[in-house]
Amino acid sequence: MDRRQADADFSEFAAAAHGRLRNTAYLLCGDWERAADHVQEGLIRVYVAWPRLVRRGGELAYARKAVVSAFLDASRKRSSTERPSEPDTERPSGEDVARHVSDRAALMAALARLPQRQRACVVLRYFEDLDVRETAVVLRCSEGTVKSQTSRALASLRSMFESASRDELAVIGEGNLPW
Amino acid sequence: MVNDLKQLLRDNVADAPTDHLDVASLVDAGRRRVRVRRTGAVGGTAVLVAGVVAVAALGGAPGGADHTAAATHPPAPDAPTITLADAQRAVEGRDYDVLTSYTNKNLDRDNGQYLDGVTDDGLILFRDGPRDGNEWQAHYALMNSATGAKDWLPDPGVGQMQTWPVVLGADRLVLLGYDEGDGDGMEATLVAYVFDRTTRDWSTMSWPNLLAVDFGTGDVGPDGRLYVTTPATQGKIPEGGWPTRPGGDAEDADAEGDTHHLWSISLTDPTDVRDEQLTLGALAFTDDAMVWTDSSNGAAGQVHVRSLSTGEETSFDPQTGERCNLLSFGASGDRIVMSQYCGTYSHGVRDDRVQILSTDGDQVVTLQDSGIDGGLADGSEVVKVTSYGGKRGARSGTYVYDLVTDRFLRVSDGVSSWGLGGPTSTATEFMWDTPVNRRHGATQWIGELTR
Repeated sequence: MDRRQADADFSEFAAAAHGRLRNTAYLLCGDWERAADHVQEGLIRVYVAWPRLVRRGGELAYARKAVVSAFLDASRKRSSTERPSEPDTERPSGEDVARHVSDRAALMAALARLPQRQRACVVLRYFEDLDVRETAVVLRCSEGTVKSQTSRALASLRSMFESASRDELAVIGEGNLPW
Repeated sequence: MVNDLKQLLRDNVADAPTDHLDVASLVDAGRRRVRVRRTGAVGGTAVLVAGVVAVAALGGAPGGADHTAAATHPPAPDAPTITLADAQRAVEGRDYDVLTSYTNKNLDRDNGQYLDGVTDDGLILFRDGPRDGNEWQAHYALMNSATGAKDWLPDPGVGQMQTWPVVLGADRLVLLGYDEGDGDGMEATLVAYVFDRTTRDWSTMSWPNLLAVDFGTGDVGPDGRLYVTTPATQGKIPEGGWPTRPGGDAEDADAEGDTHHLWSISLTDPTDVRDEQLTLGALAFTDDAMVWTDSSNGAAGQVHVRSLSTGEETSFDPQTGERCNLLSFGASGDRIVMSQYCGTYSHGVRDDRVQILSTDGDQVVTLQDSGIDGGLADGSEVVKVTSYGGKRGARSGTYVYDLVTDRFLRVSDGVSSWGLGGPTSTATEFMWDTPVNRRHGATQWIGELTR
């Protein structure tokens, strides 16, 4: 493929996928600016792999994996990582604004207290709607690890909600089981 | 009432602040990454430091303030210690000679042409691209350093694959390529591109019995075998994440190290794959010893030295600082070189160290300063130290430490934004690069230390 065409295709893909990837990154790190950094790093990795991806397909899956890897790498590498900051609560919501915003903020605060890989399990399973196998592929771990990490994460989240005297936290429609 | 986790997750991103994605900048950055990942390996299984990344990583904390670790100042190493200020200004013609140089004026605009290493018979491996102007296919030549004349080689079929030269012999060249497949770039299938300088033919080689290796690893031992690693364990991140400094940056000094399984493979027989039955961190060779650490990219653990002639093995504690993460590792003669990051202190001052020990475990000298890293190329006796700036960039540049004479010299006043370099042919040769054209480009230099 001509490189200029490849760049054009990549640009189109990046523009289309950017918003979704940014949301995922935000839920992982809790900060929109850092989320943008993770997405940029992830999309750069996508660019590097682009000729191969175009041949094999799966650009979005690779991009998602790259963004998650960028987030986890940032947690690992020296002087380039942050624990998620306090959540941004200044957004409008529904009927009971204070209560609802507070619930959302409580979730972000609870997510921030989870270990990174547990947090990634929650985001991938319940925001990206990946199944256990797909999540294991993204996190490069076994399906058993995904199950145990997700289970621990949900238990921690529920406990944190309970400690904060908030309403019960559940995964509607899944019988409150992580898989 | 029940809070639905999925709904809360969606709600938290429902009103995301607007953000403009600069796609053109992204593409530029991607092109640069294609280039910088092509950086030469320094110091065996050392971390492959790509210039652009390194500049960002070591450039000091934004704002230069607001950073506190447990103490306010870096602790002194338990060893004879020097800083960048102890370097003498190197004088060309007296301290070193320039063998050749090459300038790419604008690497932001397109990929360029590079000096990728020096062959055993003194020719330069010259690479063109892959870039827009050559159909994104890498081409190689052997260049006479005195005249600049180039002998272009047949197309190796490398395309855009990232390759590293590991053998630049008088009879053949071996470039290693890493096919990442669908992975995330940390592991890859190894492939070698071999050029027979007599028949002028390229051939490719792969090892069906070899697992996916750590990206960028490959060290030719004195026995001519290629030593590669596969992942074993990865250091755990503390529960709850790394502690953060007031500025928001995490402090991941004192990290648990990673380990790897060691394999050796023949560079002539693809069926010859040997499990070395050794788990290690970083690896290096001298002419007569194999040297390794327990772990790397975190705490180093013990250093082990195995005689290649007798098999006798000794181990010692290198006495790295309590918070030091081993980032690169090399050995030459009876010297071991360990580059480390040991934490960030008040006003963004980093505790970076290049520790030099004897193979008996004696402390020779430790260079300690902020915003530096060091590495020792295979077979070299010259430790290359890069300083990424310090305050106002006053100390930015390339420095060299001669392991034989213990001279410490400052060679340049700046480093480019690009990860450039490759193996050299003699123990006193070294490569460095300087910025040009407002940092849009770079000049690569190959020099030889005078003794």
